[in-house]
Amino acid sequence: MIDYIPRSHTYYAAQGYAPYQWATFADVPFQRPPGLLKDLRLALLTTAAPVVADAGAQGPGAAYNAAAKFFEVFTQTLHPRPDLRISHIGYDRTHCQAQDSNTWLPIPQLEAAARDGLIGELAEQLIGIPTNRSQRTTQEKDAPAALTACRKLGAQAALLVPT
Amino acid sequence: MGCARDIVEHVGVPRFYFSNFPLGHSAGKPFDAASQHQTVREALALVDQANTARTTAVSTQKWSNDDRWEQDFWNVSQLSPQQLKKLKAEHEQVRQTAANIKSNG
Repeated sequence: MIDYIPRSHTYYAAQGYAPYQWATFADVPFQRPPGLLKDLRLALLTTAAPVVADAGAQGPGAAYNAAAKFFEVFTQTLHPRPDLRISHIGYDRTHCQAQDSNTWLPIPQLEAAARDGLIGELAEQLIGIPTNRSQRTTQEKDAPAALTACRKLGAQAALLVPT
Repeated sequence: MGCARDIVEHVGVPRFYFSNFPLGHSAGKPFDAASQHQTVREALALVDQANTARTTAVSTQKWSNDDRWEQDFWNVSQLSPQQLKKLKAEHEQVRQTAANIKSNG
């Protein structure tokens, strides 16, 4: 298993950057859902991004592309299937070719789970979450906006699939 | 659900399904329906099964019988000074691009 925190500290220190201070919470909330998952509406949250016109390569094999980053929480219907990419994220480009979006956007598996009765219902829209390095922006702006989106969808549980 | 256990547990989340896969594969192996099925279903099971904050479930799946892939990501010992210099320049460009996007709204 990779220890990403020390690995990233060493990686960025070698380039002259100070180590990134990851957010950490002594108190982690825990809420029991209002029933079993088979009776609940579940929202899918993703950090994958819509394709940005004229922003360069964003498909399989694309180098890190900051121009593809987004900074506002968005929602998008599950059908037609959203074309959301991960070129704006520092994933493992050696061992992930980003050719199968199901590895970061598991809509088919979630829909199958709903058909099989494991989920009461999958919310009709997914929620896109920015990958903002500002912890203040994430906590004070993006997280509340994501919560508002969950409530607007009537979601009673949420599954975050970050990349 | 995700692939960076130390980061997620350092932050602290209610429930976490961890797969020891390269970053980019939070929901399973590519073009592997069985892997994705197991990953998603075991992650969903946490909604009902977890009883306390910071509950982590660990996938039994292995990315590969050869664990050497774990040595590759952001491993400074595999990079030359020239490569590091190039990476630094790329990161500075990335920072500027992100700043431009934010300032342009």
